[in-house]
Amino acid sequence: MRALCWEGVGKLAVRDVPEPRVRAAGDIIVKVRASSVCGSDLHLINGYLPAMREGDVMGHEFMGEVVETGPGVQRLRVGDRVVVGSVVACGGCWYCRTEQFSLCDNSNPQPVLTEKLWGHSPAGILGYSHAAGGYAGSHAEYIRVPFGDVGAFPVPDGVPDDAAVFASDAMPTGWMAADFCGLKGGEVVAVWGAGAVGQMAARSAQILGAERVIVIDRLPERLATAAARLGVETIDYARTDVLEALREMTAGRGPDACIEAVGMESHDVGPTYAYDRLKQSARLQSDRPTSVRQAIMACRKGGTVSIVGVYAGLVDKFPLGAAMNKALVLRMGQMHAQRYIPMLLDRLAAGEIDPGYLATHPLPLDQGVRGYELFEKKRDGCLRTVLHPVG
Amino acid sequence: MMSRATRWALAGAGTVGVVGVGRLVARRRRRHQPERQDGWYVVRRGITVDRPRDAVIGFWTDRERLDRALAEWATLERIDGDRWRCVAADPAGGGTAWQAEITVEGPGLLRWTVVDGPVRQEGRVELVDAPQDRGTEIRAELRYRSGPVRRAFGLVGGDEPDLALRDTLRRVKSLVECGQIIDTRRDPSGRSERQERATDKVREKLTTGGRA
Repeated sequence: MRALCWEGVGKLAVRDVPEPRVRAAGDIIVKVRASSVCGSDLHLINGYLPAMREGDVMGHEFMGEVVETGPGVQRLRVGDRVVVGSVVACGGCWYCRTEQFSLCDNSNPQPVLTEKLWGHSPAGILGYSHAAGGYAGSHAEYIRVPFGDVGAFPVPDGVPDDAAVFASDAMPTGWMAADFCGLKGGEVVAVWGAGAVGQMAARSAQILGAERVIVIDRLPERLATAAARLGVETIDYARTDVLEALREMTAGRGPDACIEAVGMESHDVGPTYAYDRLKQSARLQSDRPTSVRQAIMACRKGGTVSIVGVYAGLVDKFPLGAAMNKALVLRMGQMHAQRYIPMLLDRLAAGEIDPGYLATHPLPLDQGVRGYELFEKKRDGCLRTVLHPVG
Repeated sequence: MMSRATRWALAGAGTVGVVGVGRLVARRRRRHQPERQDGWYVVRRGITVDRPRDAVIGFWTDRERLDRALAEWATLERIDGDRWRCVAADPAGGGTAWQAEITVEGPGLLRWTVVDGPVRQEGRVELVDAPQDRGTEIRAELRYRSGPVRRAFGLVGGDEPDLALRDTLRRVKSLVECGQIIDTRRDPSGRSERQERATDKVREKLTTGGRA
């Protein structure tokens, strides 16, 4: 079968690879119908998340059709159209039982590196390097999904593939970001990043009761899309002093909750950013925390900073003093896909959230390399490239 | 040209630095050495399984499930009442096998002695209720004999008993909690056979000694 493989830092190629097979009773094989690129893939491609190996199949945000089930699978049938959560969860450990699926104890068979880096190993993630279990990814015609009954969910009829695909990662990540904020109704929420996750976080915050949502980015077309689709206010950080703007927009208070949906390759303007960028390229720090710093500085006293952008290691000049003295709540994590997906699919079917517009560039799998280039360079107004391995 | 004083100062700073680093490394190594008792190395490792104690015991007394669980790497055979013989492939590979005698000493307590294997060892396993509805703590204590030379080679070879113990505990936990040990080796990839073999080695490094 054809698959988009990582070939080295900054290099991708479409290759012929063997087809996956059922290896355990709970496995299912999914014929991929739509597989989205994701901002976190860029960290893998560019070598900021460690432990990619030449030939690894990329991709973790996808949906498709069940074509084979292991003998232990009970909830799914061949032919089901399903969306699959990116994080692998066994369904049987304490973390899974308490719905903290991205912390599953048993789904990362290669836990040594993350244990060294982070003290403990979180769940495995499909197509997400050997630090996250070394699973083959979804930018391929077929993919093996372990614990199919736990991780794959039938898509309601009438929800198109290119919308359902975002229920795999961008929607649950955005929802969890808003969920972390503990909204009670009437809050002002600021969201850093107008990519797919940021926009889904903004929409989720609205549904959960935020009165005003302010989205921050530097790409005018993304800000325009967010404003038009979601009715949010926007700040272009390349033209505006974000901290001043947020302070003024909230009459001095600052946002009640700040969501960071950017991650370790954050952009900014000015000398601090140049310094961070230099240090990161020399590998003197693993992550550029520009937007987290801003979120902490902007957040109102006693507010919540919710981090769903991906970070891998160590950051420099983290304003812990601001967080401590303003008594902020910091919440963060990889999303618990399996907790949120069924509820999100219901909201999708009801038209409450419509992420279909995020798929600005549907492309065949063979054009995957170009798809990532469009996405990374943000060319042609690209929000998300969604690859279609078949037809 | 550097003055003599500068050279002396640099040499002094260098020596102090080297000695300091050496001492740090030695201290770190010592901290990572297993405890020693009467000529045995002793390691204690624990893992928490999210099942009540009876369910964990049940797993080991349900012959059918146990055989299925052990199928890949060990056979178990009853000698008499409470004694069992276990023959297993060395988890580190290399085609060597070890044979152990397991004695059940009470509910939730068993001991084993390796009677034939690359390293002399014995151990005990105790099951303790974990606090806060967190299931059962499997606490294992492993004692093994191994001279410094052998140990050094053993470390290089990757067959340190401590690592094998951690792996085994993790396998047990996974089998009890979700009925399988996940495996991603040789999943589809664009690797050549040579690259795949190199990746297998990396995978083994990332797997061995993990604690979940």
